[in-house]
Amino acid sequence: MTTKASFFGNVWENLFDFGRPDSRGQRIFRRVFEAFIGAGSIWLAWYWGEYTLRISDIVLELGFARYIDISFMHGNQLPIWNAWAITALVVLGFLRIDRWVPFGRWAYMLATLLLMLQYAARFVLGEIPHSSNLVGMGIMGFALAELIFRDRTEGGRFAIGFSYFFIGLGYTSAALSKLVARGLTWPDGRHLWLWVNEKAVDEMARSGSVELNFVQQLAVDHWWIATAFLAFGLLTEACAWLVWFRKPRYLVMWGVMALHMGIWVTMDILFALSVYEILLLGLPWAAFIDRLFPEKTSLS
Amino acid sequence: MSGKTLSNKARTTMWSVIFVYALTVAVNLGEFWPFSIYPMFSQAGNPWSRSVVREVPPGDTLSWDTTALADIPGQPYGVRSGGVDPIDLANFVSKTKEWDQDRVEALQLMLLADPPKDPLRLMVYRVRARLTETDSVAITATPYVLVGTDLAPDESHLNPELR
Repeated sequence: MTTKASFFGNVWENLFDFGRPDSRGQRIFRRVFEAFIGAGSIWLAWYWGEYTLRISDIVLELGFARYIDISFMHGNQLPIWNAWAITALVVLGFLRIDRWVPFGRWAYMLATLLLMLQYAARFVLGEIPHSSNLVGMGIMGFALAELIFRDRTEGGRFAIGFSYFFIGLGYTSAALSKLVARGLTWPDGRHLWLWVNEKAVDEMARSGSVELNFVQQLAVDHWWIATAFLAFGLLTEACAWLVWFRKPRYLVMWGVMALHMGIWVTMDILFALSVYEILLLGLPWAAFIDRLFPEKTSLS
Repeated sequence: MSGKTLSNKARTTMWSVIFVYALTVAVNLGEFWPFSIYPMFSQAGNPWSRSVVREVPPGDTLSWDTTALADIPGQPYGVRSGGVDPIDLANFVSKTKEWDQDRVEALQLMLLADPPKDPLRLMVYRVRARLTETDSVAITATPYVLVGTDLAPDESHLNPELR
């Protein structure tokens, strides 16, 4: 009988690859993924920071704003200074400043905390977005790896495994939330009709006009097609925890990618940063690099 | 460092993060970025509320009556031109419990942070939708507040039912 402990022991072994032979492809991929997470964090810091300049009132507190009066970030240039600080810390973290500066390994962790502050200052108007959560967990993974693992190879492996784990947990949690709220009737196609109209109104507000695309029209015209879209989405999310295991990982990641493409065409919502991250984690890039540029081995 | 030591460190770190994750979402209504229970789209079939904005010429007679979305007066106005996220606008309108001068000012700042040279008046509508018994989607729009480059942001430009 499989015990709970051995199940998670198997999960950790599948996620982190400790002790497995390293390769040029893996080294390059780890740095590319780290660069993506760093660049994504910097982009969020500036995107949120510049938007925060136009906020003068608080409708709903999220994150740190539930515990501190976040209004000190409004009506001044602090969000921009914070964006500069996050940029500097991420760049310094990527350049491994601990070689020259004491406590340099804290750079990513400080960047993570300041990014959480930037989020709390930006999202006070009622919107609760989830498009940035994967990048947020990604930078947290690298922050923990820097603090806990002295060896950068093992630290990088931990950070990537950390991202896979919370991708699996996040999407599975999304499926559970839907089942808890609506039960097995969640995929009823009429629910998609409401969302298609909701997003059409968003587009009308954004650009002044709107026209349904072919797929949206198909879903609105045929209940069973709308139901099939939602059923596929729910099933994909419910299986997302399988990314914790090597064998089904890429298949599940492509299922999640298809889910995002479906959300894009039916509801006009593109979680761009999440999609890029899934694209990076959803293909065996390290093996591709190793095949294209094999390392020279010497026979002794 | 041996593989076993590394695994132990990773396992301890992961369980610690999972514990903090669970604790923070449990005491913060499911959200503490970047931790979340990801409840988006879970409330399937529920009525929703959004916002749209129409440009209103200064001379036009204003009506505060609720109408079908297709019948709202004025010219289409996209909030993207002012750099505004429509979901922020929708949440601002739907989640405001008490409309006072501060809220009207904040809405004016949001929509007219970079005012054009010509006078501009914008009517902000709250749009609501629900599934009907005949399996169609009914959408209505209620004018909420009028803001403009030539208007003082005060409560006199609110729908009388909100004052």
